[in-house]
Amino acid sequence: MKQANFSKLALKALLVRLRNPLNMSNENTLLSIKDLHASVEEKNILKGLNLDIKPGEVHAIMGPNGAGKSTTGYVLSGRDGYEVDSGSATLDGEDLLEMEVEDRARAGLFLAFQYPVEIPGVSNLEFLKVAVDAQREARGEEALTSAEFLKIAKEACKQVNLPVSFLKRGVNEGFSGGEKKRNEIMQMILLQPKLCILDETDSGLDIDAMQVVANGVNSQRSPERSFIVVTHYQRLLDYIKPDFVHVLADGKIVKSGDASLAKELEAQGYSWLQAEPTEDELED
Amino acid sequence: MSEWLQQAIARADSIQDGFEDQRATSLALLKDIKWPTRKTEAWKYTPLRAVERSAAIFKEESPELEPVAVEGLEFLELTFVDGQLVSLPEDLPEGLTIEMQESSLFAEIKPERHVFGLVNDVLAADVAVVTVAEGVAIEQLLRINNLLSNGAQGHIRVIVDIKAGASLKVVENAEGQGASLTTAYTEYQIGAEATLEHYRFALQAADNVAIGGCHFKLLESASLNSSIIGFGSDLQRIDTDIIHAGEKADAKLNAIYLLDGKELFDLHANVEHAVPNCTTEENIRGIAGDSSRAVFNGRIHIHRDAQKTLAELNNRNLLMSDKAEINTKPELEIYADDVRCAHGATIAEIDKKALYYLQTRGVSRSQAQLMLSFGFINELIDQMPTAELAEWVRPIIRDRFSQMEVK
Repeated sequence: MKQANFSKLALKALLVRLRNPLNMSNENTLLSIKDLHASVEEKNILKGLNLDIKPGEVHAIMGPNGAGKSTTGYVLSGRDGYEVDSGSATLDGEDLLEMEVEDRARAGLFLAFQYPVEIPGVSNLEFLKVAVDAQREARGEEALTSAEFLKIAKEACKQVNLPVSFLKRGVNEGFSGGEKKRNEIMQMILLQPKLCILDETDSGLDIDAMQVVANGVNSQRSPERSFIVVTHYQRLLDYIKPDFVHVLADGKIVKSGDASLAKELEAQGYSWLQAEPTEDELED
Repeated sequence: MSEWLQQAIARADSIQDGFEDQRATSLALLKDIKWPTRKTEAWKYTPLRAVERSAAIFKEESPELEPVAVEGLEFLELTFVDGQLVSLPEDLPEGLTIEMQESSLFAEIKPERHVFGLVNDVLAADVAVVTVAEGVAIEQLLRINNLLSNGAQGHIRVIVDIKAGASLKVVENAEGQGASLTTAYTEYQIGAEATLEHYRFALQAADNVAIGGCHFKLLESASLNSSIIGFGSDLQRIDTDIIHAGEKADAKLNAIYLLDGKELFDLHANVEHAVPNCTTEENIRGIAGDSSRAVFNGRIHIHRDAQKTLAELNNRNLLMSDKAEINTKPELEIYADDVRCAHGATIAEIDKKALYYLQTRGVSRSQAQLMLSFGFINELIDQMPTAELAEWVRPIIRDRFSQMEVK
């Protein structure tokens, strides 16, 4: 009996390792996505996504429109209407997919939106304070006083080159595209997440604005904090240097490499992806 | 006819103050009027039981009452207690006068809708007339206080005449201690190129009956910016009438209501575009909790000659309980062909995208809902031109709002 049990366990361990060849030790993985399938309005978007990210790493996810790049961020953050059909995603070993949206944020996940929503009537400062308080409470830290918070909020404004007066305005209300993106980065600076997903943060930005955003991101790089930089174009990666580049096509990663892969994609475009039939199509 | 109205008429009949003639027309109309019922369109959702049952009396002697203080503001105070004028502002700025007048009629308003306008005609004891001389800008805010002691009945009327090129800021402040009944009407004439910044706060105890309205007549290039903020009560009814009587006049009306318990709040907003080239923008937002009821009727009437009118009416409501009720009805009557007119009325849910956005920042779902609901009305508070008033009223609204949420 003992022997049988042992062999079952050994087999299980082997299977885990086979499914997860890049990640030798689970303890050292911040984010682990395994065979993730997800759909929106019954349309399959993610079709077996695998990704492991260690603390301190910067991963770029590139790919054509409709590949599932934004969906990845929405599924991980728990947006309504994004259904997980199978697979798993863990952050620091905790099952992300079972958590409420706010608990994922409190566990250290941050999504910088491609289109941050405008919320008139809710002041940016109040919103940021409530968010930071929630984050601190989750970490077992005491809430900041209003004066303490105002001080760090002003500093964060400075870091992303936003006038302090923006704190008094409604959340993103009447902000330009670039200002909204900078406001996202400011939130990231204040919330100090473990994993940041930047969803096409470069879209709609000119070079100067992109540099401000990239500087904000780079200032937050640390051995403990990881990033997923989702982008359609290579140019953002000139400013935020990735450790790994993945190509997402039709809901799964079809190619991974180092920063040079981004250059390759820039030269070749994504058309080569469509030239080869996908696995699904082969199965059909 | 209701017993309450019979008593009101009897009282008016018995007043011998030398102004009987001025009261006669309204009194005659009132004696003939049909007491509104559920079949009366203007009172369809607002039953008058609370009036019929009211035991509020005309007090011979009233206690001394003080209006609420507002940090950072010193008002010119025009104060009524239980319907009697008790104080006029001392040291009026140059160009501003306040006099007492014997009687005035709500001549331009349909009597059927304004049965209480007629009641006010015959029972308002002291009618104050405020005049701003031509071209004078009065910086200090004038506050009209309608204070009612417990169980008192009072009827007030103020007429404000802002001459050409002049400007005035007025706060109408109603504070009823409880079980009181009031009718309160103000009439404004805003002269050519004159401006009025106007507020009406009805933030009183829940067992009051308060009926009244504001009548704004705008002459050429006049400008009105009005904010109305009300809690409900046993019966809270406000009729606003905006009459564009001169070309290029501009009117903006923001209104907020926040209802709890079994409260009732009814806002009837009527706009008459009688001449061309005028603009109106109305933003009405309300939140109804518990088993309260909100009634909104927004009518915009664009007369045949009123070409190039721009008019927008938007009413948005949030329901915070299954038992709360909102009756909203925008009415557009357009007889001119070259106008831009938009209206919308919604009973909204909280914006899901905004909710998700806040949650992704770690804000709990319940707190995010609270922030967004409050933000929905706070957006209009942000637009109040006098910041001190916004800062004063914001925490009052927030307090009530958090009490509503607890239930």
